[in-house]
Amino acid sequence: MSGLLNVRNVTKSFGGLVAVNDVSFNINEGETLGFIGPNGAGKTTMVNVLSGYLNADSGEVEMDGVNITKMKPYQRSHMGLSRTYQIPRPFPELTALMSVATSVLCGKKRRNQSLDDAGTEATHYLEFVGLFSKRNILARDLTFYELRMLELARALATTPKLLFIDEVMAGLNPGEANKAIHLIARAKEEFGVTIFWIEHVMAVLMEAADRIVALNYGEKIAEGTPEEVANNEMVIEAYLGTGWRTYA
Amino acid sequence: MVDIELKRDRIVIRYKEKKWDWVLEPRYWRNSIIWTSVLLIFPVFSYFVSPALINTMITANIYAAIAIPLALMTIGTGRMNFGPNFFIGVGGYTAALLSIAFGWGPLLTLPFAIIISLFSALIFSPLVIVARGLYYVLLTLLLPLVFLEVTFIYTDIFKGDVGLFGIKPLVNTGNAKINFLLLAYISTAMMITYLLVINKVLKSRYGLIMATINDDEEVAHSIGVNINKVKILAFVFSSGMIGIVGWFLAHYFGTFAGITYLPLTFMLKILLVLMIGGRAQVFGCIVGGYFVAFLEMILIRTLGPIQPVVFPIILIILLFVLPEGLFGIYRKRRYREYMPTLHVRR
Repeated sequence: MSGLLNVRNVTKSFGGLVAVNDVSFNINEGETLGFIGPNGAGKTTMVNVLSGYLNADSGEVEMDGVNITKMKPYQRSHMGLSRTYQIPRPFPELTALMSVATSVLCGKKRRNQSLDDAGTEATHYLEFVGLFSKRNILARDLTFYELRMLELARALATTPKLLFIDEVMAGLNPGEANKAIHLIARAKEEFGVTIFWIEHVMAVLMEAADRIVALNYGEKIAEGTPEEVANNEMVIEAYLGTGWRTYA
Repeated sequence: MVDIELKRDRIVIRYKEKKWDWVLEPRYWRNSIIWTSVLLIFPVFSYFVSPALINTMITANIYAAIAIPLALMTIGTGRMNFGPNFFIGVGGYTAALLSIAFGWGPLLTLPFAIIISLFSALIFSPLVIVARGLYYVLLTLLLPLVFLEVTFIYTDIFKGDVGLFGIKPLVNTGNAKINFLLLAYISTAMMITYLLVINKVLKSRYGLIMATINDDEEVAHSIGVNINKVKILAFVFSSGMIGIVGWFLAHYFGTFAGITYLPLTFMLKILLVLMIGGRAQVFGCIVGGYFVAFLEMILIRTLGPIQPVVFPIILIILLFVLPEGLFGIYRKRRYREYMPTLHVRR
């Protein structure tokens, strides 16, 4: 079975620690794939391998039938792969508009685009995430929620096919988190992106995801619909520990 | 083919599938015109009042012409290069050795000085990829010092102890005062050309890309910037520009000695020009260059022997008092930029 992105037997270890061990899954076009696991399960390492920061020790990553295992991050970005970070990493000395405009300029190639045109296009993405009024403010002066949204705008501006979202809920209050979830759902509809969503909070993915892959100690322990994964014995053990039944 | 179109407020340039906008803003031209004409009138003015000032002006132009490409290099690579004078050495020695060996004039040695500077920059350009932070600073700091050692070791070629002399002069009209006047104009033209070119680059999309590299390399990489290409290009081209300054120095004095330009003292002066003018801002480099050159001249005339002690102390105090630099004072008062300005953090 081949999807938009196929991950085959990817292994990545740091010294003696095997962070991701022989993980295979695929992401189909147009779906939202949840990626869960307890702390230190290797979720972020997996995203780093997929987006090109780390080279996999073994295994293959294939996108649209092209093997991208050895590609550099910028080449993957041109192919239509984009990510956000767990801790927002804005360009602190650039204004919100200019950081999104850089994404527009450098992401997937557009024809006949000057810097001014890129700025015009960037305003559209800023409007989408609700930062239009903050467009001329330096990124270092934005609040945490606004940085999250700026990051989302920056990721969307490269016109990705596949968007990696790394823990969008972390550090947001319930109201903001709710807004962020709705925004991601809208982004999926309006821009037609496929979403690969890493999250700690199960409740979010139970609603949003079409399928979920669960990871523990770097190994895939479950894959399926949210209900299947939530009722999977191994997933419950990974989150609650082995003796959970005695206290339940 | 290249297609150029003039619109109401801009020139639109198209080539294949690419498009550039050159925004024309005559309302912002007033100050540029005023200051350019001041720079052009100053040599003639001092020709009649005090010819020694022309010499100081040439020194100031040289400081600025080194600091401006260094500003581009700092922003474009996201690292602080502490050895820009290495490329002065490369350009200067190329021009000097060729001129002495074959009796070539300045126009013949110029292309070789540029090519050798670019080539040596290309050889050392992997530094901007492999080294970062303090290691990059240390490695670049060592380059000119190692080159200085080389000039002493191979002293029969480089004449490290006495310096090379007998280089063809840049201009020779027979009248020393007019020679100086012409040299002042040549150095001013070089400095202003550097300023125009680099300011245009920094305000364009390439400047924006460099700003992202300066802020966060990894994120820039993930949004699709080919960071290695941009960093190497910024490093190589600004090094070539600094090499041209070396060529100018060799033909200007007629002698060239590594001991003048390669040690830490000269490098420190350039870095202070960069910082006192205003943290790697191209316009600030000129303010800083003129400030440092004239301060040095005044101190040499008034203080004499204790000048080497007082001069750096004044500059270091200024570095603390003016964190944004001399140009920063002006910029804070009159902020009128249509593109955000780039700052250097590292």
